[in-house]
Amino acid sequence: MRFASPETIADAVRLLSEEGARCLSGGQSLVAMMNADLVAPSTLVSLRRIGELGRIEVGSDGGLSIGAMATHATVAGLKPASAGAELVIAAAGAIGHPAIRNQGTIGGSIAHADPAADYPTAIVCAESTVVVAGASGQRRVPAADFFKGFYETALGPGEIVIAVEVPAGAAGARGHYEKFALIDGDFAVVSVAVIIGMSGGRCSFARLAIGACAAAPVRDPAAEAQLIGTPLDEAALDGAADLLVGRCDPIDDFRGSASYRLKLVPRLLKRAVNAAKQKAERAHG
Amino acid sequence: MADTLSYELRINGEVLSVASPATATLLDVLRYQLGMTGSKRGCNQGVCGACTVLLDGVPVRGCLTLAANVGERAVTTVEGMSQGGTLSRVQQALLDAGAIQCGFCTPGVVVTLEAFLRDHPKPSADEVRHALSGNLCRCSGYVKIVEAAVIAAGAAP
Repeated sequence: MRFASPETIADAVRLLSEEGARCLSGGQSLVAMMNADLVAPSTLVSLRRIGELGRIEVGSDGGLSIGAMATHATVAGLKPASAGAELVIAAAGAIGHPAIRNQGTIGGSIAHADPAADYPTAIVCAESTVVVAGASGQRRVPAADFFKGFYETALGPGEIVIAVEVPAGAAGARGHYEKFALIDGDFAVVSVAVIIGMSGGRCSFARLAIGACAAAPVRDPAAEAQLIGTPLDEAALDGAADLLVGRCDPIDDFRGSASYRLKLVPRLLKRAVNAAKQKAERAHG
Repeated sequence: MADTLSYELRINGEVLSVASPATATLLDVLRYQLGMTGSKRGCNQGVCGACTVLLDGVPVRGCLTLAANVGERAVTTVEGMSQGGTLSRVQQALLDAGAIQCGFCTPGVVVTLEAFLRDHPKPSADEVRHALSGNLCRCSGYVKIVEAAVIAAGAAP
């Protein structure tokens, strides 16, 4: 295997155009897979020296632009100034263990696209945009279109993730990430990401996404629409959960059976929505 | 055949020349080329934490860090913790608390706690548990390890 450590995105993309080349970001999945003889890249292109990939910008509305090489620890340490940021920052803090968060990156996590990972569900819920660079320049992909299946993304050959743009979400709304795992630091059995806005005791904004229950994060605009105007009572949440469960298609694995996962979805959804609702109401009365 | 790379690593304050395949992890180079066997190879998948070392003072997995990608960053291993034969406060506290059983997880625990206590001088036991959540002890001697961390921080156990 050859190793390259370019300093610009253009050089990285050029090196990645070679057959069998892979890019290395934090390495927390790729090196583990190399250690297990699951992948053997012909060339490894480290993105570590590309300074601009580490940049994080906070918009005037509290939205975020997170460079692909920002570590989970860095993102988890940000102070949220919007619902979208609050959600994504919480998801970053839920990934793995401290040592994993010190090296793992947002670009690597979403390009790996493990359906049980934390970032994909959060960035889909927050209606984020993935910025991608390739030989023919840059393009912007909505997060919902980025995740195609198990470990499968919209990235073409030689393309890399360079940033994730997280919109603020509605003013006054709050984000919450609820993860259920068997042990601390593990991938989720099921995770739920929500952004909830409240106005006069009724829901005015809702974004809901379910993780680890299909090949890609699950969203259903109809489930979100059903919550608008309700006080987010048991009946409203049951209705939204039914719709979301209908869109889930989980697998059986050692973390849980498919039927167990489907049973968790309504419970975790309620927990997440109630947590976000309480934060939104505390802030806005 | 894997291409061999020549590069330098800064380990425990020394600059060392290394030649390794590009696929070699920092843990491989430490143990099998430099003979620094303090860092342990447990799962080789980033789960167990026995290989934890510091990179620019921050805990990382030696097994998930490619040696060739370390570059100018300073590596600190458990071998770099004692000064002139005197154990670090964390090492001494682990001994004093009886927190060492088989000892396989201990090097990872030592470096993780050194970095954690540097950033959190007066942690609660709960904060210690979170800091050590990625360091598995298969003797399950966690109670004594957390006690040791609290002793090392200078607080009452």
